Amino acid sequence: MTAGGITAEPPLAAAPPPPADQGGRLGRYIVGAFFLAPALFMLGVWMVYPAVYTIIRSFFGPTGFIGHWVAFDNYKTLFTTSNLTTAIKNNAIWVAVVPAMVTAVGLVFAVLTERVRWAVAFKTAVFLPMAISAFATGVTWRIMYQQDPNLGAINALGKTVSGIFSPAGPLQSALPSTPALVPKGGGMILKTPLRPGGVALLGVTGIPPDQVPKSSVQAVTPPSKDGEIVGTVWRDFKPGGGKPGVVEKGELGLGGVTVQLENAAGKVVQSTKSKSDGSFIFSKVSSGTYNAGIGAQTFAKPFAGYAWIGPNLIVPSLLIAYIWIWAGFAMVVIGAGLAAMPRDVLEAARTDGATEWQTFRRVTVPLLAPVLSVVFVTMIINVLKVFDIVYALAPESEYAKANVIALAMYFTAFQGAGDFGVGSAIAVFLFLLVIPVLALNIRRFKREV
Amino acid sequence: MAAAAPVIEIPAPHDTVAAKIVRAIARGPVHIVLIVLGLAWLVPTIGLFITSILPASVDASSGWWTIFSHPSLATWANYHALFKNAGLVTALKTTAYIAVGNTLLVVVLGAMAGYAFAWLDFPGRDWFFIGVIGLLVVPLQMALIPMFKLYDTFGLFDTWEGIALFHVAFGLPFAIFLLRNFFVGLPKDILESARIDGANEIVIFLRLILPLGLPAIASLAIFQFLWTWNDLLVALTFGQNTTPITVWIAGQLREFGSSIDIIAPASFISLVIPLAVFLAFQRYFVQGLLAGSVK
Amino acid sequence: MTRTRVAIVAVTVVTALLAAGLAGARTSSHLSGNASIKGTITFDGIWTSSSGQKQFQDIINAFNKVYPNVHVNYKPVGNNLPTVLSTAVAGGHPPDMADIAQPGTIAQFVKEGKLKPITYAKSTIAKNFAPAWQQLGTYSGKLYALVFKAANKSVVWYNVPAFKAAGVTPPKTFAQLLKDAQTIKASGTPAYSIGGGEGWTLTDMFENIYLRTFGAAKYDALSQHKIKWTDSSVTTALNSMAKILGDTSNIAGGTSGALQDSFNQSVTNAFSSPPKAAMVFEADFVGGVITSSTKAKPGTGFNTFAWPSITPGPDASAVEIAGDLFVTFRDNPAIEAFVKYLASAQAAEIWAKQGGFGTGNHNVPASIYPDPITKATEAPILTAKSVVFDMSDNQPPAFGATAGQGEWGLFQDFLKNPADISGIQKQLETAAAAAYKK
Repeated sequence: MTAGGITAEPPLAAAPPPPADQGGRLGRYIVGAFFLAPALFMLGVWMVYPAVYTIIRSFFGPTGFIGHWVAFDNYKTLFTTSNLTTAIKNNAIWVAVVPAMVTAVGLVFAVLTERVRWAVAFKTAVFLPMAISAFATGVTWRIMYQQDPNLGAINALGKTVSGIFSPAGPLQSALPSTPALVPKGGGMILKTPLRPGGVALLGVTGIPPDQVPKSSVQAVTPPSKDGEIVGTVWRDFKPGGGKPGVVEKGELGLGGVTVQLENAAGKVVQSTKSKSDGSFIFSKVSSGTYNAGIGAQTFAKPFAGYAWIGPNLIVPSLLIAYIWIWAGFAMVVIGAGLAAMPRDVLEAARTDGATEWQTFRRVTVPLLAPVLSVVFVTMIINVLKVFDIVYALAPESEYAKANVIALAMYFTAFQGAGDFGVGSAIAVFLFLLVIPVLALNIRRFKREV
Repeated sequence: MAAAAPVIEIPAPHDTVAAKIVRAIARGPVHIVLIVLGLAWLVPTIGLFITSILPASVDASSGWWTIFSHPSLATWANYHALFKNAGLVTALKTTAYIAVGNTLLVVVLGAMAGYAFAWLDFPGRDWFFIGVIGLLVVPLQMALIPMFKLYDTFGLFDTWEGIALFHVAFGLPFAIFLLRNFFVGLPKDILESARIDGANEIVIFLRLILPLGLPAIASLAIFQFLWTWNDLLVALTFGQNTTPITVWIAGQLREFGSSIDIIAPASFISLVIPLAVFLAFQRYFVQGLLAGSVK
Repeated sequence: MTRTRVAIVAVTVVTALLAAGLAGARTSSHLSGNASIKGTITFDGIWTSSSGQKQFQDIINAFNKVYPNVHVNYKPVGNNLPTVLSTAVAGGHPPDMADIAQPGTIAQFVKEGKLKPITYAKSTIAKNFAPAWQQLGTYSGKLYALVFKAANKSVVWYNVPAFKAAGVTPPKTFAQLLKDAQTIKASGTPAYSIGGGEGWTLTDMFENIYLRTFGAAKYDALSQHKIKWTDSSVTTALNSMAKILGDTSNIAGGTSGALQDSFNQSVTNAFSSPPKAAMVFEADFVGGVITSSTKAKPGTGFNTFAWPSITPGPDASAVEIAGDLFVTFRDNPAIEAFVKYLASAQAAEIWAKQGGFGTGNHNVPASIYPDPITKATEAPILTAKSVVFDMSDNQPPAFGATAGQGEWGLFQDFLKNPADISGIQKQLETAAAAAYKK
């Protein structure tokens, strides 16, 4: 029972033919009212009344309705406080990025999973994030995003990868114990030059007990000899501090450290590794002045982790987490649209010689347009209202940077004793932001008809 | 119409071995992409699950992936602690009342209104519809205060019905938006011929629209159920002794100190039921369900 | 629900009867007529099942032994309490009683006329608490709040093995603390664990420094904004604080780590093995976090010392507290009986002997605390020569208790850049002036 001629034009919302013989116009109103009334009643009481209340409330002061009319003061506060302008900017980023990404990802997933027998398993994996409460999702992604590579999953992966290419040195957090030892080029070098027969004392501190090599023993300074430069590199610390720069009993030598000897021109002429008591000997040293130091590779720091929830990356990190959650929504709703698509139109297009891609672009997507628009518009509005994920995932120190309108409203209206006047004004501002979205939809309706 | 050029398509009409192999190769990349993406998507969730089976002190000092090198650390103690707590089962029951109750109402009212906006004609219809979409933006938090006085007057405070009705109202804009756009895509001629045949709107609604709209109704039901299952704010504000699962979990969290050993297992206990709903409704997403149903 | 309606009717009837002439019963209601006091009290509290609900329920049960017909309906709201409470109050449907941590919020509610005074409990409170505690509950000249539970914020928790490895003992003065911190750094562990992700840990540090440098009187003046934040005393205090915050290599995770770490994280940092830091500056409730999130054991793994003194004098070991203040939104005999009971030593002792509870009730003996560490952290609340309330909690909430803004936000900015002291002072003063103007 198909109408003549297959077309790829989707039957969009055109005015349907009036139901015949239904009692004329009055009958039409009654029928319409019957179908609409319950929903409109609930919307009126639970949503329109509070919306109107909020609008009126926004013209009053913090404490209430009686005698606290402040006209537009609340709106003035709104636009002059800096944290709200950041919020508006952030919401703009959210609106620009998220709805398109979520819809696109959902569409791709919905289409791909159509063809796979184990689609349900994949769909479940993508849907699961929607089933977890927003607060738990915030916690989950905090664990992913922690900067410390021991605690954050992404940085742990980074640490493993970077450990392959640039392994950490044995003494990662060491500091010189006396001003005589100065940092140079990633390593450390003894300021005072030495001549053959001299002794180099390279004391370092800031070494946690678990970084001291297991074979370490009491530090020892070898006796000086002509033609040699000797020295010790040791952990210059004993409980209470001890005397810095002096090898004392109870202080452990650091073995396996690369010690270098630089000549007066700064060129490394000799390099050796310290023994387990920290001692080292540079033999056959010709006359001249030299500087002894510790090589940079000793202090190579391990991967420190990116600050995903630090000021620079917090907004992208939030966007990623949010898309991770909502792609499942788009996928399921668009999947429903795909399921209801009339197969005969697709078959006809295929037998007409269209390729998969052409079928997709010219037939499937236009037929899906109403559903896609629901997903897209809903995401725009959700993103304007976004609150839970920012509140749960961003650390408090980044609230200012990651601020969004709903978060600003929450803190203004609900924290402590709260200022509902300004809070309501922010809510009204949110209502107004939706108007462009609605205007676009109105234009689309006119085009359809 | 041009003569059909031989195209390799999925699913192919022939079932020769060659065709099967070609099909497999064509599907290959899709499979691989889906597997990789699916696993990547699961990583944070798996992380949360592993966190829930590790003791709190391990959660605080090292990442969940250490379980792969120390599998003996795993324990069900966190889950046991939750189940021992009185009130978990009652909380689940209360949540079920609220979630099921409001989802049913949202589906019915949303479908009726969606049908009216899609296929009934009355003046101002499109403007009304835009208004309904606009209501999507009303933030939940701002509706709490005005509703307090109303709830007091009608004795709805601290009842699961009161909480459920709140969710119905807030679920309707999306429901109407989705279902109306869905119904609009249904074949016009079916409705036309039904009307010509003299069927009244109610019969059309029940016998044609609802069955044809099942995929959309199923997806709406999944999400409405889900969102209300996970709601904390409304239940916390309008309840005193009425305690759905989210409020119950909130009442377990520590004032100071990480409660990850409570949140993680509680999340998994809590997500079992919405997941079951999701899986149960999957059969409505099978394509071709409607082929032939029209006749 | 209908049950609440019945309860409200019952309470009204009882009150009406009392007013109609059951004279004389009130003053002697301590022993007789307790069963005649009926009613339901709705109580919104912050304590959840893992942090005090059970202990508070024990107190309610003991109360019911004396007043068997008063039903206390406790709602564990947890950390959402400020939101839920402000919504309920604004919506005209507050609970009968609530637990509020910020006196600034209480002051706001009093100004809006939402609270009922608890003047009937004045004598009970006077019997159990020093006048300073009564003062804490007084707003606009009337008694509105009972300081039921107090937390000692002038406490430092340290990792015992880390201190031993560094060879340092708990410092008594601030100068010694700074010196010891360098020794600890040399031993290989950063000294400080700072939960800068939450602004209140930073304001607590500032308040302790200010209190110990300038004494309780000046502290109170700054609290009430009688001294401006641009004052030279604030400069001195911030300078001292910069000696800690600016010592970046001595902070676990450095400055950026401190900014991201939550309070909980800062505690686990100091007591994981190996520890990421040697000490945490915070309050008595840190003990609970250590036992629930780490494997450290009291005495051998963790211990405490009092916040070091700075300026010698009577306020050198002053104690800064935060508290749980109970307020009432309605007044009836049931509520009055409950409030008076809560002010008694008996109620406080029920919780104190289980640990995790500090009180200003001087009729509670120090011997009641269950272990030495609890005693060391809770007893000073009563024995200290001066006790002051947490300054940021005393401010208008928009300045003193809002995440990312006001004091909390600005001190996080200070952590980012401890060198810019005058800049931070100006911003603090601007924010404070704006908040106090309202």
